[in-house]
Amino acid sequence: MAAPVRTLVAWCPDWPVVATGVPLDEPSAVLFANRVVAASPGARAHGVVRGLRRRVAQARCPDLSVHERDEAKEARLFEPVVAVLDDITPRVEVTRPGACALVSRGPSRYFGGDEVVARLVSERMAEIVASRTDVRVGVADGPFAAELVARAADPIRLVPPGTTAEFLAPMNIDVLERSDLTDVLRRLGISTLGALARLPAADVLARFGREGQGAHRLASGLDERPPDARYPPADWSVSAEIDPPADRVDRVAFVARSIADELHRRLRRNGVTCVRVGIQAETEYGEEVIRFWRHEGALSDAAVADRVRWQLDGWLNGPAVNRPSGGIARIALVPDELIAATGRQLGFWGGETEVDQRAARVAARLQGQLGAESVLVPEFRGGRHAHEQLMLVPAATVELAGRSLDPRDEVAPWPGSLPAPSPTRLLSDPVAVEVLDESGGVVEVTGRGLLSSPPTQLIVKGRCKAVVGWSGPWPIDERWWDAEAHRRQARLQLVTADGRAQLVALEAGVWQVTAHWD
Amino acid sequence: MPGGLLLAQSEQVFDTRGMATGHAQNLAVETLDGAHQGARRAQLELVADRVSPLTLAREQNLPVHDSLTSLFPDGALRRGTIVGVSGVGATSLALAVVAGPSAAGSWTAFVGGTDIGLVAADEHGVVLERLLVIDPAPSAWSSTVAALIGAVDLIVISPKHRLHEPDARRIGSRLRERGSVLVSIGSRWPVGADVQLDVAESRWCGIGVGHGVLQLRKATIAGGGRGAAARPRSLDVLLPGPGGAPRSVAEAD
Repeated sequence: MAAPVRTLVAWCPDWPVVATGVPLDEPSAVLFANRVVAASPGARAHGVVRGLRRRVAQARCPDLSVHERDEAKEARLFEPVVAVLDDITPRVEVTRPGACALVSRGPSRYFGGDEVVARLVSERMAEIVASRTDVRVGVADGPFAAELVARAADPIRLVPPGTTAEFLAPMNIDVLERSDLTDVLRRLGISTLGALARLPAADVLARFGREGQGAHRLASGLDERPPDARYPPADWSVSAEIDPPADRVDRVAFVARSIADELHRRLRRNGVTCVRVGIQAETEYGEEVIRFWRHEGALSDAAVADRVRWQLDGWLNGPAVNRPSGGIARIALVPDELIAATGRQLGFWGGETEVDQRAARVAARLQGQLGAESVLVPEFRGGRHAHEQLMLVPAATVELAGRSLDPRDEVAPWPGSLPAPSPTRLLSDPVAVEVLDESGGVVEVTGRGLLSSPPTQLIVKGRCKAVVGWSGPWPIDERWWDAEAHRRQARLQLVTADGRAQLVALEAGVWQVTAHWD
Repeated sequence: MPGGLLLAQSEQVFDTRGMATGHAQNLAVETLDGAHQGARRAQLELVADRVSPLTLAREQNLPVHDSLTSLFPDGALRRGTIVGVSGVGATSLALAVVAGPSAAGSWTAFVGGTDIGLVAADEHGVVLERLLVIDPAPSAWSSTVAALIGAVDLIVISPKHRLHEPDARRIGSRLRERGSVLVSIGSRWPVGADVQLDVAESRWCGIGVGHGVLQLRKATIAGGGRGAAARPRSLDVLLPGPGGAPRSVAEAD
């Protein structure tokens, strides 16, 4: 079997954290959808790892600074780092912001060996990255192995041709990042890539299908797919002229979205999908930049448009040396390394369904029209008050299709919260009211949490309502350790003669209606 | 095989999910016989209904909670209609109406309802994983509702401003065309809702004077509307029932 193509991967550790601008030695973490996606070394020392929930991460490291993930910013800051490699090879593939790969054969012949190229890449990138983080470079057979080599490198490591399988053998199967498959494998007693590679390929294919086959090939130091990749005929790339030339990224991204749709339609018609998509932009004075992005048939039109936006943001707003002298006049999408489209299997039981996708699409559309903060979804947070237990977060920060909220019963109870049924209307601006007793005096709550006298009237905006039922008070004293967030209140359920039930709270001597059971 | 199934297969022939469903049903026919066959097939058809990507004629109805079926002409929520709810307890009634379809797999959108208690929605049975809450500016209100129609099955609105009649007509015709259901809380729908439900009377139980806690609300709901829904009807229901979900009075006794 032919060995996969020699690949060089350059990796900047903790790039999402670097992009936030916080020094790495300070504990900080980057979150997406309330889960940690990256943590600085300072935070890792406290046990903050990927996948933790915000609350747990903050519990492990109280002075942790958290940041929402901003992929566009990550890509924008990474663009100048990648741009320095343009002199070494024209074909740099951005795997994701923070990591890029290039085929080492051509540059090695020119510069005289993999090691020279690796050192060159490392030096050039380190110059740009400066002290923000370090650059690690790995060279091996195939991009999968090369990335793992880069992770183990300090700062350069080369695995000689043909020995990639030996390098991979002791690695934990978790590096495959296929949790469903690796769970089963581990239960079968297979915990390293070497053990997986020793299994007969035909049996792995029979038992685990294409996914298993791909994993087995990676573990054996081969390409994920059998090397049947064809270079596409040139006319499958799509392009659009932009007239007058655009100097704003969003205009180009808008055009890119429609040509991405055209590209996907063309590929689909021919039953293929591409592993990479090249985004080529040209200015009115003929300056050109092309960058390859990993596609794998998984990018939607909008996702391609996002990558156009990231790439051009980095180019148009980057360092003055690289900045183009005019507006963008032409944009082209070039499909690279075509493979047969096997389709994306939608789940039969649960998982992502057509209705979920429709809802996700309309959410994305409304975000465009109304702004990201106007389209919200519930997220479990926990707390003593109804408005704290479930909060609304922008839909843009979570994966809508096939999402599952954290089960509520996993969380320890919150003493002091009121039993069901919960109020159906929560007032964001509580209404000040008066709660009076029979003699017309204001009802007070003593320091021991007792009412001074039973309430008989509720006065809302000058109108008096007779109280026919009441219960409480439930005193609550929250966050007494924090002077700003400290709250001390007593809550009362009141039913008035008109049949309405409301929650009133006494805080700092003022009664307020905070919620209704409408 | 029932006609609906044949139709389903021919319509879904280009959809992998549809094919999987048809295959599953064939399997059932071939391999199962005896007393369990009927029950198993019914279960399989239920699954097929849930996962089918198309709207067939027999799927024009969305299931509502068992305790509320007698309020709707077909015992279910018909697609493309407008349901108006009003009275003290309207929000709770609206949540109870959408809880049934939501549990069966539909998406729900609250437009302008950022003050609706999410914990209460959860207790009523609305599936929070399939809930969008949208807070548009008043000027973008109609276009937001129009965009949601067809994309989500259930749209709950609590308009704070007066709705113009032309807007209401446009929304109504779009609903009929796309098959979503609009639930309007509070003020009456300007051109008349297809099904109008009013909480005529309600009484809280479990809370006394100085003791107990709010537990459930006995509500009498008066139904009206247009067409088949015009016949006046009335229903006693616990809204919310113990624990938050609606419950029929008979069941509670």
